[in-house]
Amino acid sequence: MSVAPQTVPPQAVPPQAVDVAAARPRIRPLRWVAGAVLLVLVAQFAWFLVTNPELKWPVVGRYLFDPNILRGLGMSLLLTVIAMVLGSALGVLLEVGRMSGFRPVVWACTVYVTVFRSIPPLVQLIFWFNLGYLLPRIPLGVPFGPTFVSWPTNSVISSFTAAVIGLTLHEAAYMAEIVRAGITSVDGGQRDAARAMGFTARQSFVKVVLPQAMRVIIPPTGSQFITVLKGTSLVSVIAMADLLYSVQVIYNRTYEVAPLLIVACAWYLVVVISLSLGQRRLERHFGKGQR
Amino acid sequence: MSDTPVLRVRDVRKRFGDHVALDGVSLDVHEGEVVAVIGPSGSGKSTLARCVHQLQDIDGGAMYLDGELLGYEFHRGHLRPLPDRRVAAQRGRMGMVFQQFNLFAHWTVLRNVVEAQVLIHGRRPEEARREALRLLERVGLADKADAHPRMLSGGQQQRVAIARALATNPRIMLFDEPTSALDPELVDEVLSVVLDLARGGMTMIIVTHEMSFAREVADRCVFMENGQIVESGTPEEIFDNPASPRLRAFLSRFSGRAAQTHERMQEETSS
Repeated sequence: MSVAPQTVPPQAVPPQAVDVAAARPRIRPLRWVAGAVLLVLVAQFAWFLVTNPELKWPVVGRYLFDPNILRGLGMSLLLTVIAMVLGSALGVLLEVGRMSGFRPVVWACTVYVTVFRSIPPLVQLIFWFNLGYLLPRIPLGVPFGPTFVSWPTNSVISSFTAAVIGLTLHEAAYMAEIVRAGITSVDGGQRDAARAMGFTARQSFVKVVLPQAMRVIIPPTGSQFITVLKGTSLVSVIAMADLLYSVQVIYNRTYEVAPLLIVACAWYLVVVISLSLGQRRLERHFGKGQR
Repeated sequence: MSDTPVLRVRDVRKRFGDHVALDGVSLDVHEGEVVAVIGPSGSGKSTLARCVHQLQDIDGGAMYLDGELLGYEFHRGHLRPLPDRRVAAQRGRMGMVFQQFNLFAHWTVLRNVVEAQVLIHGRRPEEARREALRLLERVGLADKADAHPRMLSGGQQQRVAIARALATNPRIMLFDEPTSALDPELVDEVLSVVLDLARGGMTMIIVTHEMSFAREVADRCVFMENGQIVESGTPEEIFDNPASPRLRAFLSRFSGRAAQTHERMQEETSS
């Protein structure tokens, strides 16, 4: 056996005395600068919040749990849930349509997704709210044939129905894209295996493909839920009594604009943070069994 | 025992665009018979397995399972495709084992083997569970019943896949290159399970690259090239006495037992 050549250590420290556990951290000057800048900014902002007379913190406290505000918050949540549930269902249907392989259906679904992803939700809300100008009565009957019943549009389309329709149709287009990404993420062999076992197309989709697609579908759906919740603030333009509208009603009377907007922001923040926490738990649940 | 073959494939044609994958393939598989399909990559062996299992539509020809036409029915004197539900029922009477195992990744091993029995064949869950455990025992994996597929080695996954395919009492088992995705040291555990099935009298089609295994397990070997069955016969005929130059060329590319046999045979004929 040959003896390894002796290397001379660069420092005069004997090699056996080196233990990196005793090393001291390096000084990082940029971190100190960033820390100092942040400290100044935070201090300045806090000073602004405390000293600005227009913020009127007691007013914020007075309205935070005001029944009208809470009703508005409830309406925002209700609209979000309805739009998400109906939108997800419609989104899955749209994606099933796009996968059907039957050309006219594929086309119809593709056109729908393209159109409704392109139109801003605000424009849609105003459109649906004003549907009565375009179509004074909503008929039910044979297409191009006799009409059995018809209803005046303005009695059917309230600001609530307009809000539900607008948000749902918009949401469905986005959910279709999300569902698509989820389904393409599932290996084709899974579907093959399901069909080979004797599952029908529907059974293999519902039992095998969709549950595995959920892992990919859940995270963007969570963000989508949050987007829709914030999107509900748009319905205030059609006089729907959501959180933002309820706040506006009050500050139009009292001129306490800033404190009431803070009330709205606080509630949006609370809801979004709780949603994010819930989303993380869902992700963990659907992540099991995956690599 | 009746004369009707379990599987009858008649002049089946299949093309993908310009590529002819199956060019008039005919094959009968009788009760208890084990047919090994060999041939170079792209020869159409896997396509044949997938077409028999109706995972791919065929362009022409006909296939019968126990005398029943697969995928089509006569309606007022005309042929028409069966509805999905009935095609699914036909698939449920065959078992398929894939190269990539394709175990359902979101279910435990046990549920992989239980689910089709309950869902497709209407067995009671308790009964299906007992049957699943019996099959897992048979492939030597009863202790993995509660594991998720991703925790298992490739060889173990493939053995579970075999148990899953057996769970519905298939009339015929189709193996699509069951060991091609495995590390070499895991091949034998899978092949021994397949061999065990063959000895138990299961009717099988095995698409494989394992020549020595094909020779050992098969009652009949089929050599495919360019979408056609070039030669068919007993393993001895195929490996020791290949008639066509194409089969001879194919076998000589394989090192190991098949190629050695082939060389020995050539020496014998030349001396």
